[in-house]
Amino acid sequence: MENIKEETIHHTAMKLAEEIKNLSIYKSFYSDVQKLVSSPSVKKEDFKQTLQQAMKEKGLDTKLRNTVFHWVRTQNKQNKLDPLTSLSKASAQWEKRIHKSLNSMCSDLETSLAKIRSQSEQEELADKWNELSTYSLDLSKYRPVYAPKDFLDVLLTLSGYVPFTKEDEPKWEFAHLPLQVKTLDQLRKIYQEWANGEPLLGVNPNMPSTVPGFATLEAERIGLGERVAVLGYAPVIQEYLKKGSPQCLRAKLWSQVLGADVKQQQIIYFNQLKKNVLEVDLMIDKLIFKDVQLTASNDDQYFVFEDLLYQVMLCFSRDGEAARAAGASALRVAVKGRHAPDCLIAFPPSGVIPFHGFTMYATPFCYLYDDPVQLYFMFRAFYMRYWHRLHYISTHPQGIVSLCLLYERLLEANEPLLWIHFRNININPIRVVFKWLMRAFSGHLPPDQLLLLWDAILGYDCLEILPLLALAILSFRKENIFQVNTLQNVDAVLADLSTISVIPLLQLALMKS
Amino acid sequence: MNPEGKKMAASLYGRVNAPTERCRVSFCTDMEKSVLMSNFERRGWHQVGPDDEWNFYWASTQTCRNLFSVESGYRMNDNQMINHFPNHYELSRKDLLVKNIKRYRKELEREGSPLAEKAEVVLHGGQVVTRYVHLDFIPVTFVLPADYNMFVEEYRKSPQSTWIMKPCGKSQGTGIFLINKLSKLKKWSREAKAPFHPQLSKESYVISRYIDNPLLIGGKKFDLRLYVLVTSFRPLKAYMFQLGFCRFCTVKYDTSVTELDNMYVHLTNVSVQKHGGDYNSIHGGKMSVQNLRLFLEGTRGRAVTEKLFAAIQWLIVHSLKAVSSVMANDRHCFECYGYDIIIDNQLKPWLVEVNASPSLTSTTVNDRIMKYKLIDNILSVVLPPEGVPDVRWNKVPSFEALGNFDLLIDEELLEKEDSTNSTSRTSKNNKK
Repeated sequence: MENIKEETIHHTAMKLAEEIKNLSIYKSFYSDVQKLVSSPSVKKEDFKQTLQQAMKEKGLDTKLRNTVFHWVRTQNKQNKLDPLTSLSKASAQWEKRIHKSLNSMCSDLETSLAKIRSQSEQEELADKWNELSTYSLDLSKYRPVYAPKDFLDVLLTLSGYVPFTKEDEPKWEFAHLPLQVKTLDQLRKIYQEWANGEPLLGVNPNMPSTVPGFATLEAERIGLGERVAVLGYAPVIQEYLKKGSPQCLRAKLWSQVLGADVKQQQIIYFNQLKKNVLEVDLMIDKLIFKDVQLTASNDDQYFVFEDLLYQVMLCFSRDGEAARAAGASALRVAVKGRHAPDCLIAFPPSGVIPFHGFTMYATPFCYLYDDPVQLYFMFRAFYMRYWHRLHYISTHPQGIVSLCLLYERLLEANEPLLWIHFRNININPIRVVFKWLMRAFSGHLPPDQLLLLWDAILGYDCLEILPLLALAILSFRKENIFQVNTLQNVDAVLADLSTISVIPLLQLALMKS
Repeated sequence: MNPEGKKMAASLYGRVNAPTERCRVSFCTDMEKSVLMSNFERRGWHQVGPDDEWNFYWASTQTCRNLFSVESGYRMNDNQMINHFPNHYELSRKDLLVKNIKRYRKELEREGSPLAEKAEVVLHGGQVVTRYVHLDFIPVTFVLPADYNMFVEEYRKSPQSTWIMKPCGKSQGTGIFLINKLSKLKKWSREAKAPFHPQLSKESYVISRYIDNPLLIGGKKFDLRLYVLVTSFRPLKAYMFQLGFCRFCTVKYDTSVTELDNMYVHLTNVSVQKHGGDYNSIHGGKMSVQNLRLFLEGTRGRAVTEKLFAAIQWLIVHSLKAVSSVMANDRHCFECYGYDIIIDNQLKPWLVEVNASPSLTSTTVNDRIMKYKLIDNILSVVLPPEGVPDVRWNKVPSFEALGNFDLLIDEELLEKEDSTNSTSRTSKNNKK
């Protein structure tokens, strides 16, 4: 037994040693280690010991550990095979539909998908880069390609792609999809700290601390958080985030967990994306402008950050890394005005055709970073780890289909009366919460509450908290829902979440009654 | 959710409780604003005219002055209450505010109070000046034409700085302009004295050093509107409303000379910004103070954020102390002030002005909700637990009655604490 274990560890180590050479940090890391070896602190006689010691002192040890941690995380996920290949067909058809409608919008507006910007246009855009809200564009004819509601309608037709649907199940439910989702009891095992009723930030920061030397829970969390941040080990920080981060440490801790800190290399990369925005006019740029205007600019929590968001969202559309993470298939489009051989580009490079509200995946980070580059890389890291799962069709356990199914099952099992009420008034219960799930509640919860929720997403590294919160909110407002019987009125009951305290509500739902 | 959980949740998300007072209170008001009327109606009060028997009058400052004037001969009884102090202008007129604060500092200095400590500071323009360490919370200000010579002396010390001129008796940004050259001021004064502008010559102005390094968020300038409720000046009892807001300019901040006359860059007043092309009627350029705090804690850290908010409370308390000796402390009165504060990029707050009748017009849905709560909370703080105005009440509201107000200062309670030597008492004002 021991032997087998040793062997697999050895095998993983060999694989890691091979693959680490392909990672982006390898080159600079290798040269840092070489420099260290030639320094006087590393002795030839006791090479291994002194090198390890020196690496610890220089912080290279932490860097290596975090790299391994991130690498292992990606390995786990990639090895899982898609159990339902039939959904990929649905996904491909949906993407085809989006591209088709984009093309027809293009021909209606007599514009092209991609073209070189004129010199004067480039100059104007560069000039107004920091205040793009003043960059005048006529967007009156541009409409978002689709909204969460349209996406839901597509998801509700998925049954058509699955054979052997049982006769007695309504076609519009997710229940017939042969996907595994957790029960509330299984969730309790994951969110163990919450289920055990341990003190969490976001309930009452003035709660007395159980640790000697700290007056309040908040003081205790800040004290611990500062130590964890100095240590810098991603898995330790992730563990820390389970019980919530104080706002003053969040920016640092989040970027440490995701390995998204900004160095010279990232600044160069961002400027490269910016250059591409200035040079090439993609038709979706207007859709991005439109989306920022429709969402953030009209929101009293985010309007201040409008100009930052234009920059971030435009650059994101040019980022091929995002498409790779999501496994998205982009169109190949010729750039009008550019000559072969490099006139063909992926359209858009990010693979994301913005839908109504896409900007909301980025807005909450404005409360953590006021530098566009930091904001950008944090948003991108979250997108590549989580958000792409919320708007692509897949059978991934963290994908939107599984989350919808989880919500349905949780509601049926834990709020049977509400379930029956929805049946009686003939409303599919997913309809009233879908936009929350698809946007990870961004724009629906006040920013302080939203950031606490996203702490939990990072801390437990999963999105199941979203359907659980949807359930908890419905459960909290159920008396009011029982009083109404139209979709419009249910929506009205659930419209204002400004008084919701996320953490206590979730903890109540997770604690055994 | 189980019943226990529900109980817990209900206490966590406490709704505004239905008022218990059911006895009839008669109210009178000059302004039938919906946030006022709906609050009065919810409490079951009935409306009467100004000549009838009223218990509670929500009046304009003018009505209040008339009522208290010697000529009116009106005497209020023990069960009457009104929403202004007779001489609120000691705080709300720009020139008098400055005069009172200057006098307050001098008095403290004469007493040898440590509060009046002075030290040399380096302005960000480079020159060294002597300032009060703890009481330097209003920009250097002079009243014109009276202090003209003093102004010129100060101006010469840093001729490159910008100054802002405001008429003393006007509000909402009217008549305000910026100057960066003495010649411009001279030209203005000549024109003001010209025979065809006789009305201008009578008016006095304040001229203040312009805060030209404001804190910007998203590249835009903003100021804070905070609500402060005073129920007594001697002893001083004051409360601060948690739900203040930031008012943003719609265009990027720009100190270049060419933009000096563009008031959309410099003035944050909603009444000014509303006419700008970029005004958004959904949020009205307003962001909550809680979100400002969240942003600052997230991007600048906790210590500096706490320090800023403590400095804001300090500023408010001392501006009130500065006028407490001259205010007519009538027990029938309370007043809710709108404090306008600008934060500079060193995170230091500056008091710009105090408004004695802050606008109760709602510009957005959230604005309406906030102002409704403001009035509701004001009523529950100023009224005794029974809900009927009574000047014999000790004006110590219960913790629950405070709602979204935090206690800023209660000198009476402080004195009692001192005399009983108890140090354990914790007020709601303690940091959260």
